[in-house]
Amino acid sequence: MASSHGNSTHSESAKTEQIITEFFAKSLHIILECRSPLMSSRNFSGEQALSSPSSSSSSSSSVRPRDKWFNLALGECPAALENLDLWRQSNFEPVVVDVILVKRGLSRTQSLKESSNAYSSDHEEVLSGSEEKIIERWIVQYDTRKPREKGSTSRRTSSNVLHTLYKKSILLLRSLYATARLLPAYKIFRDLNCSGKLRPFTLTHRLLSFVEPFTRKEESEMQRFSFTPVDTSSGRLCLSVLYHSSVSDASSESSTPMSPQFIPDYVGSPLADPLKRFTSLPVSSPSSLPFSRRHSWSYDRYRASPPAYFSPSPTHSEPPAANALQFGPVNLPPQHPDSSSVHKTNNSYDEYYPSPNFTPSPSPSPPVYMHGNHLSNAALLRTESAPVCIPKLNLQPSLPMNDNNRPSRGSKLDMSTGLPNTGVSVEKLIVKDDSKKHYGTKISAVNSSQCSISRSSSRSFLDDFDDSDFPCHFDVEDDDPMYHGSRPESFDKKSHIGDQMDPQAGGTFPIKKSQDAAVGALVHMLKKAPPLRQELSTSTADSTHVSSIRAEHPLDSSHSVLVASKTTADALEELQGFKRMKDCLLSQGGGTCNVAAGIWK
Amino acid sequence: MNCEVCQLKELEVEHFEIREVLRCILHTIVFHRALGLVRPKVIDLELFDITYVQCGDGELEKKIDEKIEQFISWVEKHPNKKSQVCISFYEVKNKHPSWFTNKTERLYWEQWYINLNVSQQQKVHSGKSHPSKIVVDPGDSLEERSARRAALETSLREVLFQIIKFVNEKKDHVPPISDGVVYFPYEVTIPSSSDSAFGMDMIKRMLQTGGHPTMLS
Repeated sequence: MASSHGNSTHSESAKTEQIITEFFAKSLHIILECRSPLMSSRNFSGEQALSSPSSSSSSSSSVRPRDKWFNLALGECPAALENLDLWRQSNFEPVVVDVILVKRGLSRTQSLKESSNAYSSDHEEVLSGSEEKIIERWIVQYDTRKPREKGSTSRRTSSNVLHTLYKKSILLLRSLYATARLLPAYKIFRDLNCSGKLRPFTLTHRLLSFVEPFTRKEESEMQRFSFTPVDTSSGRLCLSVLYHSSVSDASSESSTPMSPQFIPDYVGSPLADPLKRFTSLPVSSPSSLPFSRRHSWSYDRYRASPPAYFSPSPTHSEPPAANALQFGPVNLPPQHPDSSSVHKTNNSYDEYYPSPNFTPSPSPSPPVYMHGNHLSNAALLRTESAPVCIPKLNLQPSLPMNDNNRPSRGSKLDMSTGLPNTGVSVEKLIVKDDSKKHYGTKISAVNSSQCSISRSSSRSFLDDFDDSDFPCHFDVEDDDPMYHGSRPESFDKKSHIGDQMDPQAGGTFPIKKSQDAAVGALVHMLKKAPPLRQELSTSTADSTHVSSIRAEHPLDSSHSVLVASKTTADALEELQGFKRMKDCLLSQGGGTCNVAAGIWK
Repeated sequence: MNCEVCQLKELEVEHFEIREVLRCILHTIVFHRALGLVRPKVIDLELFDITYVQCGDGELEKKIDEKIEQFISWVEKHPNKKSQVCISFYEVKNKHPSWFTNKTERLYWEQWYINLNVSQQQKVHSGKSHPSKIVVDPGDSLEERSARRAALETSLREVLFQIIKFVNEKKDHVPPISDGVVYFPYEVTIPSSSDSAFGMDMIKRMLQTGGHPTMLS
């Protein structure tokens, strides 16, 4: 609309107006192109040079006329931007772009579709269960409050003025383009755009023609970056952004589609931090064992139904023992199937002193499980639910340890994975009752695949510490397949688990979970410790079957049995002894502890 | 016309990081000075979580890479030194022949000094064939290395913002855009074989621009 009437001012103002209009459009394009996954998916040419065949030549002919504005060819203009011209009444209204991070409560398979539905210039659909947060606010406005400097303008030719305005706008938009990709929100956009994985969050945006002020608190969390305004003859173009300097919480969420959760306390392999504290104990264990646990007993995440330690995940072939072993104290049946074997185990148990620490969650203190810790038992009960359920994968992929096959600590829990492998051994597994059998099955299965339950019974606990191959307490005997069923005697020797599980007066062994078995094994082992053993031996007379860990409901019955075998006070005393021993060991780096000696005897 | 000078914050880089850091900075500067029609190309750095923009000109990219390689060669010969890479933008003016110049004269209107402190590690990898190969110095512990890397990333980000702010604040000295020209003529100067020669370059440049004191600031 250049006026040829010789009114240069008029044409200059018209052109200025046009520049300003295009400036708004271009700045919006730049912003939305790298903040709206939906839009950029339709228009990738700006982001990836390869998509545009003529990018290298950058021939003008391949660029649409409107795209040439400000010498920044960005590719197709998304529909929303085209609509921008319609809903914007004038250049005097600011354009506010709120970039919103939407965290979805549940992973949705239709996330993309929903986010596309959410795209709207006037409103966004809030996905149920989602949480929104404005992580950026861009404000583009033409500020006409600046008094016009007529004097200076008149001295310059209009073309110079326009040229300067145009040049400065170009510079501003260039720096906008670069800045938009340096701000934290870009990472989220890039993550959403380039990765094919579904994310529990998405970005959406909102275009407004007014500024909805933030609360003081919100504003205090945000930083501002203002671009230097470009002066025009009648005002100035201002562009600024308020942004959250750290939006990493969104992008740091799980990026692996497979793993639903992250085990916070996964201990990992023995080579990992041996002193790592196992803090997230499920259920009631208030005090995560201070003693570093080698095994990833921590199960929280993966607990499927039975929160407890044992979540055996039969289908899961990963050893990660993370979940399991909570060593449900409860599981340890006080009775030992075989006193002789028990003794043997006891020996090892002695050395294992620290092992009580492993009793995780359900029981605050290892010894507690011995009996009567109702609380722990209850926890166990809670955790060990359904006998047959196959706890989720747990022990998941993220668990580094366990590489199966070894009695390594981590693997213990993974009994479940082995399940499918053992056909025969299952049969042999014990069991007094179906549940036990089931349990035994699990164990054997586990054995074959990875962790052997209470394999290390013969090992000294201390040795374990030193040994990077620290065996899983619950590791079954070396001969995996047979684990419990086939050789009760061997089992007795080594696997505490079986004994323990059973004990509860022949309670059912819900063998379901390998983890349960593992826990049971541990419990059993612990029970074999001298101070504990005495009480246990009476109660464990029954077991002899592998079902190591009875994590499940059988607890109820065994519960009473256990209780009978030991009093709470004794258990507490043992716990304290163990703690002292543990501290001693930790401080001495594994040397024998005098305190321990006192305790043991 | 005055020559604006921008001294960028010094960066402590390791040998294998030079390439990426220099590419990032040089391209960012040139992108802001390529005021002709460009189709921007967004590049994600490999070593750092930073994304920068190139102006999409293949020729330009090649020239910059060549200069970077020259610089790396220089660094290999002069280890553990603080060095500067200077990128200058100039206008070509036809002038009468004088003592130092020929027919044309370069009028520098902007200079950027990229200050690097290269901590020379023993591993010098010939990066020509693997431009993005990362050489890891086994001497440092993992924590040290990652801490240093994180600090460098933060500093690099600050440098990029420094460039953006400079571009925003100082616009008046930028010459008018010529049609058909994508980017202003530029020159990348790296330290030459000896320090004194570098100083000579400075003096030469100073003479060419008419000896503006700002050049030396």
